[in-house]
Amino acid sequence: MHMQSLTRAPRTQADRHTGRLMILPMLVVVSVFSLYPAVDSFLLSLHRWFLGLPSLGRPFVGLDNYREFLQDPIAHQALLVTAGFVLASTALELLLGLGIALVIHEHFVGRGGVRAAILVPWAIPTVVASQMWRFLANDQYGAINLVLFGDDIGAYVPWLADPWSAFGIIVLADVWKTSSFAALLILAGLQLIPDDLYDAARVDGATAWQRFWHLTLPLLKPALLTALLFRTIDAFRVFDLVFVMTQGGPGDATQVIQFYGYKTLFTEGRVGYGTTISVTVFVVILMLSFLYVRMVGSKLLERRAT
Amino acid sequence: MLKRQFLMPIAALAILVGSMVTLVLFKSPRETTHRTSTLIATTNISDRVTLRFVSWKPDHPKAWDEAIARFEQAHPTIRIEREIAPHSSTAYHDLLSQKLKNRDTSMDLFFMDVIWTSEFAAAGWALPLGARFPSSERQKFFEATIEAGTYRGELYGIPSRIDSGMLYYRKDLLEQYGFAPPRTWDELVLQAHTIVAGERTRQPALRGYSGQFKQYEGLVCNMLEFLGSLHGASAREARNPLLTLTSPDALTAVRFVREQIVHALATRAVLTYQEPESLAVFVQGKAVFHRNWPYAWGMANDPRHSNIVGKVGVAPLPHFAFGESVSALGGWLYGISAYSRHPEEAWTFIEFMTSPEMQRHFAMHASLAPSRIALYRDDAVLQANPQYRALFPVFQTARPRPRTPVYPIISHILQRYFSRVLAFPRLDIREEAEEAQRMIERFERLVPLQS
Repeated sequence: MHMQSLTRAPRTQADRHTGRLMILPMLVVVSVFSLYPAVDSFLLSLHRWFLGLPSLGRPFVGLDNYREFLQDPIAHQALLVTAGFVLASTALELLLGLGIALVIHEHFVGRGGVRAAILVPWAIPTVVASQMWRFLANDQYGAINLVLFGDDIGAYVPWLADPWSAFGIIVLADVWKTSSFAALLILAGLQLIPDDLYDAARVDGATAWQRFWHLTLPLLKPALLTALLFRTIDAFRVFDLVFVMTQGGPGDATQVIQFYGYKTLFTEGRVGYGTTISVTVFVVILMLSFLYVRMVGSKLLERRAT
Repeated sequence: MLKRQFLMPIAALAILVGSMVTLVLFKSPRETTHRTSTLIATTNISDRVTLRFVSWKPDHPKAWDEAIARFEQAHPTIRIEREIAPHSSTAYHDLLSQKLKNRDTSMDLFFMDVIWTSEFAAAGWALPLGARFPSSERQKFFEATIEAGTYRGELYGIPSRIDSGMLYYRKDLLEQYGFAPPRTWDELVLQAHTIVAGERTRQPALRGYSGQFKQYEGLVCNMLEFLGSLHGASAREARNPLLTLTSPDALTAVRFVREQIVHALATRAVLTYQEPESLAVFVQGKAVFHRNWPYAWGMANDPRHSNIVGKVGVAPLPHFAFGESVSALGGWLYGISAYSRHPEEAWTFIEFMTSPEMQRHFAMHASLAPSRIALYRDDAVLQANPQYRALFPVFQTARPRPRTPVYPIISHILQRYFSRVLAFPRLDIREEAEEAQRMIERFERLVPLQS
């Protein structure tokens, strides 16, 4: 009751006026740094513009660039690789993150230290982590080979030379780096579950598995969805891992859409087509965000209602 | 209260207007820079002229500092101000093209990678230099380096040095097995297999070949060297390998690299190698043959880095049965920005830096192979770099990569093609080659015939 009276307090005209004015600076910042670039990019994507061929001018070509995108086999492959990467890395990160969160949620000696240690990979800049994984996967001195094969140098595998294993290493590097982030979000969700629910379940004779399956997991849904949201969007934007480790190779097997966009835009100077790719990525991420926010939002409301 | 209500919209309006003005200014640097240019040009006439030279960080900074000091001593009215750009060629390219796209008048001089000439020329970014550099002068340079600085008959870049692919080999092993350096690729394969088999018990990690086959620009260099060596070096096909990606010869050559080199002699690990990784294998004594640029000579003979000091030979790259050796030309050209306010002074600088005296200086103190032919008979140069005697014939096999303003696009298509057929051994080479050829033709058609 009290809450409602606060939020529904009658506002004067002047109050509302001041309120609008106060958000104006933020609106300006958002327009200059978010809205303007997005609109400008979209306008650019409607032009044909080759940086290296100024004599062609930059004619307006309508949706030609988008048509080209629909017919570009390299772009399709890049989208496929990206989708594979998103699926594989997000699934593994959520599973591993859940495991980690369940462990560091328990009380045990040295928990603080373990929690801090688990966050270390996440704190390392991605470029550094990618360089490290490139070394780990090396065929001459890579630690992965040392662990698997020891002194048997003849058996050493160049992990980044094979299309499938190169893709696997990139997923692995991402999982290593960001599972702890997923774990952190899930841990927050775990801490919101009241202990008396477990006590009640125990009294009713529920086993550990039943408590996890029927109690923890349903109540964790909002946290899991939040983690899923962040990880999907982040994974979709993957760039630095590929840039440092494989440059999209071998044979475009690890070329993700963001790296393809970067190549067309910055190296090839195809401004129109490059921004078309960026805008497409932007729209996909926007749609994903809307979808998730609605899902997460509805789950949260559901919970509040019960 | 009333005052505050007035203040806030005014402040908000100021921010809005300010940000819009900033945006407009960023959007049109052309107008603003032109205004300042006339201003500075009039006030600077009696003063010393300052030239801004945007270059990468040199490997031998002392040699460069000394060269520039000598220039400023010889030309007291000109001062050189250096701006150091990123070391990576791609990042340097991005920086230069940003500056040039915005018509930045503060930059006078830059380096062009030999593959940028056409792009910079077609875009109108580099100043034509032909009138200042007569053919009598051009003839003193390696033909390929001048060709690399030329676009549609006009010269835009003066070669600072020469760089080209070459075959490094283990002199000790070849001698031990009674081989002379291979002249054809088939000979190379035979020699490598014989030596690797013979050494199996003593050196189980020894491979036949190491080169650069990762998906990047170096892959294009390596592969065009194979493809170019199918023909006589002066043949049309050797000069423009893009014409013939789908010819039966070209397909056979690519199959040869896939089956005989990458997945046999070299092992598929080379699919992850750029120059440093491939050189590491060679200097550790784990490869019989190695393809690299001239800088590898110094590394392979430096006891701090190498296990094979004194056991290294160099030769031109091999060729196919009826062809001639071809090596990819690399290296850097001096260029003058089309937006420079001091082109005369900038030319004075280039003339000085590419003079025989200064090329001798760079050869002796920075290991930069001269682009002037006469210096390969120069006692001081040869004394400091005895390997130049062997490198001279190699440099004569150098050929520029395809010269087109859309080279960055063409290169990506080639990288994709070569990397795919090498990394997926079951892919049909003909189909892939046809797809690459189609894509290349599509972009080549965009280049206007007259620019």
